[in-house]
Amino acid sequence: MPVLGLIAIGAGMYGLAACGVGIGMGISTARAVEALARQPEASGKINSALMIGMIMMETVAIYGLLVSILSIFILGGRV
Amino acid sequence: MPEVSIMPAPFRIGAVNVGQSVVIAWMVMAALIVSMFFAKDRIGRFSGAPKGFQALCELIVGGVHGFAIDRIGAGHGSSNRAADIAAPAALTLMTYVFITTVVELFGLPPATEDINCALALGLCAFITVNFTAIRVKGLKGRALAWTRPVAGVAPIRILTDLITPFSMAARLFANVLAGGVIMKLLYAVVPVLLPAAFGAYFSLLHVGIQTFVFGLLPLMYIGEAIE
Repeated sequence: MPVLGLIAIGAGMYGLAACGVGIGMGISTARAVEALARQPEASGKINSALMIGMIMMETVAIYGLLVSILSIFILGGRV
Repeated sequence: MPEVSIMPAPFRIGAVNVGQSVVIAWMVMAALIVSMFFAKDRIGRFSGAPKGFQALCELIVGGVHGFAIDRIGAGHGSSNRAADIAAPAALTLMTYVFITTVVELFGLPPATEDINCALALGLCAFITVNFTAIRVKGLKGRALAWTRPVAGVAPIRILTDLITPFSMAARLFANVLAGGVIMKLLYAVVPVLLPAAFGAYFSLLHVGIQTFVFGLLPLMYIGEAIE
């Protein structure tokens, strides 16, 4: 069924969101490690800033996952 | 394929459909209120040297208060007033979010899997943020915060503030729903052993992270509003 195939492609597009989030997490972690190496005594502040950034990024990934889940189970169930 | 729905599950009392998540929320509220009376009795007998239950209470309350001061930033002319107002509200929200979500461990469907419950909590957080900001800065100060750094960004900043409850609701709802769906899929594929390990993460650790985020975000928004 062509509609189901389109839904599957749309759900798979979630990979793009995950890809962007992965790149963002990599960059921010790399910068945090650099900052830690330069100033180990500021580890607490760096950790909390990194944590907040990670949470924001994870939210984007979760939004993508929600769209993917809904398109599979809700849209897919209607075809 | 496991059944997934974002429609709130129905629960009928007589002819009225109150919704499953509302009933779960009532149970959680009843449990919290009963435990509150027990805790109140214990708090009345607190002594100068904390130990046991008192030490735990002081650790949690003091920890959240210190965290709020950290996040909001101390010394905005009026010392830690914003943190004093916001920390109890944030801890209340966190307690409620944690308990309503962690009931999954007892086999009940989490109330936050219903977007209405998540949206209500998001609105509570929104009210907390604006109430605190207006109490500390006044109505004028709250409005002036939107015109920083230049007056032209005011529409965008107002929009950002208004979208807060929806973004918080979607975050909590999506996280709980995604966790539930992944667990259902896992149960369908590998019914033994593996779900136990993942269940510990999705039903306990993940809930803890979401609780932390739900307490952290209002504090960050307050810090932004009163800086």
